[in-house]
Amino acid sequence: MRMFNCLALGAGLLATTFAVPAHAEDAKVAAIVKGLDNPFFQTMQKGIEEQAKADGVGVNVQAAANMGDATGQADKLTAMALQDYDCYLVNPISVSNLVQALVPVAQKKKPIVNIDSTIDAEQAKAAGFAVSTYIGTDNVAAGALAGEEMLKLVPKGSKVALVAGIVGDVGSNARIKGFKQAVEGKLDVVVMVSADWDREKALTAATDILAAHPDLAGFFAANDIMALGVERAVQTSGKDVKVIGLDGIVDALKSVAAGELTATVAQYPYVVGAMGVEACKLAAKGKELPANVPAPVLLINKDNAEASLKNFPRPGGDYPDPLREMLK
Amino acid sequence: MSLPADNAPASRQAGVHEESRPSLAALLIDPSFWADWASVVGLVGLVILFGVTSPVFLSVANMQAILLAAAILVVLSIGQTFVVATSGIDLSLAASVMLGAVILGLIHAAGLGIFAACVLAVLATSAIGLMNGLLITAGRIPDFVVTLGTLSGITGLGLILSGGEPTMVGSTFLLKLASGYLGPFGYPVWVAIAAVLVAHVALYHTRFGVHLLATGGQAESASALGIRTNRVKIAAYTISGFCAGIASILLVARIGSAEPQINTSLLLNSVAAVVLGGVSLFGGRASILGPAIGALMLTALVNGLTLLSVSAFYQPLAVGVIVVLAALIMRYQK
Amino acid sequence: MSTVNHIAPSEAILACQGLSKHFGGIRAFTDVGFQARRGEVTAVIGDNGAGKSTLIRCLVGVHVPDGGTIYFDGRQQPFSNPDEARKSGIETVHQNLALIDELTVAQNLFLNREIVRRIGPFALLDRKAMKDQARAMLSRLSINVPSVTQRVRRLSGGQRQAISICRAAGSGAKLVVMDEPTAALGVQETANVEALIRKLREQGVSVILISHNFDQVRRLSDQIWVMRAGKMVATVRSSETTGNELVALVTGAA
Repeated sequence: MRMFNCLALGAGLLATTFAVPAHAEDAKVAAIVKGLDNPFFQTMQKGIEEQAKADGVGVNVQAAANMGDATGQADKLTAMALQDYDCYLVNPISVSNLVQALVPVAQKKKPIVNIDSTIDAEQAKAAGFAVSTYIGTDNVAAGALAGEEMLKLVPKGSKVALVAGIVGDVGSNARIKGFKQAVEGKLDVVVMVSADWDREKALTAATDILAAHPDLAGFFAANDIMALGVERAVQTSGKDVKVIGLDGIVDALKSVAAGELTATVAQYPYVVGAMGVEACKLAAKGKELPANVPAPVLLINKDNAEASLKNFPRPGGDYPDPLREMLK
Repeated sequence: MSLPADNAPASRQAGVHEESRPSLAALLIDPSFWADWASVVGLVGLVILFGVTSPVFLSVANMQAILLAAAILVVLSIGQTFVVATSGIDLSLAASVMLGAVILGLIHAAGLGIFAACVLAVLATSAIGLMNGLLITAGRIPDFVVTLGTLSGITGLGLILSGGEPTMVGSTFLLKLASGYLGPFGYPVWVAIAAVLVAHVALYHTRFGVHLLATGGQAESASALGIRTNRVKIAAYTISGFCAGIASILLVARIGSAEPQINTSLLLNSVAAVVLGGVSLFGGRASILGPAIGALMLTALVNGLTLLSVSAFYQPLAVGVIVVLAALIMRYQK
Repeated sequence: MSTVNHIAPSEAILACQGLSKHFGGIRAFTDVGFQARRGEVTAVIGDNGAGKSTLIRCLVGVHVPDGGTIYFDGRQQPFSNPDEARKSGIETVHQNLALIDELTVAQNLFLNREIVRRIGPFALLDRKAMKDQARAMLSRLSINVPSVTQRVRRLSGGQRQAISICRAAGSGAKLVVMDEPTAALGVQETANVEALIRKLREQGVSVILISHNFDQVRRLSDQIWVMRAGKMVATVRSSETTGNELVALVTGAA
């Protein structure tokens, strides 16, 4: 008896305390994101929930247990696919793990909004569906933005060094590629190292690079964590070397505001989530969605760092949002 | 037998009392009854609770979805049960699944055909189990240490083999396996049912099964009675590896690609299902149906909480509470 | 061994000559001669550390002796492990290592000699046959347990010992060796186990009994062997000795 009572009581409590009342809303959105063990996806979830509240949309946000839980994520989506949602907002762990779970969604002709990580278009086609829209940040564009800022900060022909993430990482490659394209022929990239997204490794690498190239003018690191490590190395060396990071995490924003880190390019998982809800609302209204919507990337330097910090995880200022325009 | 057989009938009345079954009422107030049937009671409780609170939960489609989602965990829980029955633990289970998937993906990508890929994946994971068993018995290293080491070792092996990249496995066979139905159940569910049946027969109806429980119960006594306990343990770990291989096929079929990512929740849930199933972590006491139902219960729990829109943050908490509750109830096991 | 009377070899089920065993530098016993007669209960007594248990372990193959010869059933038998001894017909009832708590009475009685039915390439347990035979085995020795499907964990010490003995006798063993079978038992349970040993003897099974309890030994056994400080010092017929004589032999006061 005890077992049953405890179970019934426990689960009943959970159910009554946390269940979202599903009525009196324009549309009901089912959202599934990657593991909530990563702050990036927690922020995304916050964006989804707050935008849904603002738009009067009901939302059920689910997540995988961890970044390896590809089947668990699919199972949860399968469960939600059985329920009567108007739109499905998905951020898959891999390009294929949600494909099967999305088949019944497509059969019900419900819109599928793909955010952040892409679903393989060919597998989706083979399974008989296509996503309504994709919303995500363009890492190449973000890298390019960092490159353009570097061009403004250092004289033409200056030496710069690049600090990449784990070798072969797609995101790191795209960011580095964007930066290189922006500075090609204008700056001299003397070296590129991999510091595995790690602050301490970046610090060590930057120290070595500074010793090898005393006339170095700038660093670009493929994420903020590494940029902060590089910045520490620069500070220790006492030289005036510009350091630009990428991501827009709180620590980096604080560092920029304090005049340490030169700049960072901020991406907004919060906005990606929020725009996903907007897309769902549009789809529920029967509007045609653009196939691809780039999420904003903003350059943060000393001028706008304070404002960004104040609004975190939302952008510091206004940003281009085609979906918002369509909703008006 | 040196004893005269004609003795038997005469002394029969004086001997064994015929088994008298306790009454139902007596069963219901016996805590050890509830301990033995914790997973069934839990599952029935969850079904009633979710059935009342969520209209979709009891739909045929959702029941099918739960069974389909539970198939991988059921197969893994069976493997874990064999190891736990010997009073061991296999921490490398989820990593073996990953390695099996990676090998399956690579061999398929190399063009050797999907059947060869599946067979080699199962062979590889079985070999890992065999190696675990050998290290634990012949190497005399505690199971915890060995399988923790294997966990790390094959994580690395998986990353090296795959280069850290997922491999797409576009096989019509696997697609059919994942999405096809035979009668009311999807193929993966049939695989799990077959695994339960075979394992149940192996545990309860073969000499191996009795020797497994004897080894787990009191290894010294078992070997004093001539049971080769080391062989039994090695077999248990090999079975666990074999189950990981079957699970890796189901996994690749389900997600369409082989990923060098370890799903730690598979490992934790396999142990949780075993505990919910009334299997003693000290060995010697096991069933197959119990952990299978435990796996089903854990899957139903996450499904129901998802349907009720309970935040993902609360779901691991709910699983944890239920596993600890089950473990508490196990204390009443006699 | 001047004090040891020799018996004709055909009468002995188990015998040894000049047996020695050392563990590192520690001498367990040296130059021991011993015989157990067919169909009798033979007791081995001695103080703690006299070497009785080690002697018995050598006789049933748990330890391999350093020197000397062992004869079982008229043949020289150097057992190198308990399995060989068991296959030859010696069953041992160990003090603590007898039963598996989590298994049922029937499972314990048939452990490692399960009855199987062959179905094609598979051998499946014949659980009904084992349960039936278990009931018959227990009945023959008048052993009372609630059910053969009961887990052994739930049984009393006396019931467990009875089942261990039944297991040993039930295998068709020619010789059953018991190491302190009543050491942990209460008065009533001890009486039950003693009755069981008498029953075995009635049914023609040879028994070797190690015990501390001189009264018990005199009640149960036909022949008594006395060990002291690693030597076999005496052997007497149980009917021709007294408790005081045994005490004197064991302590060396005689």
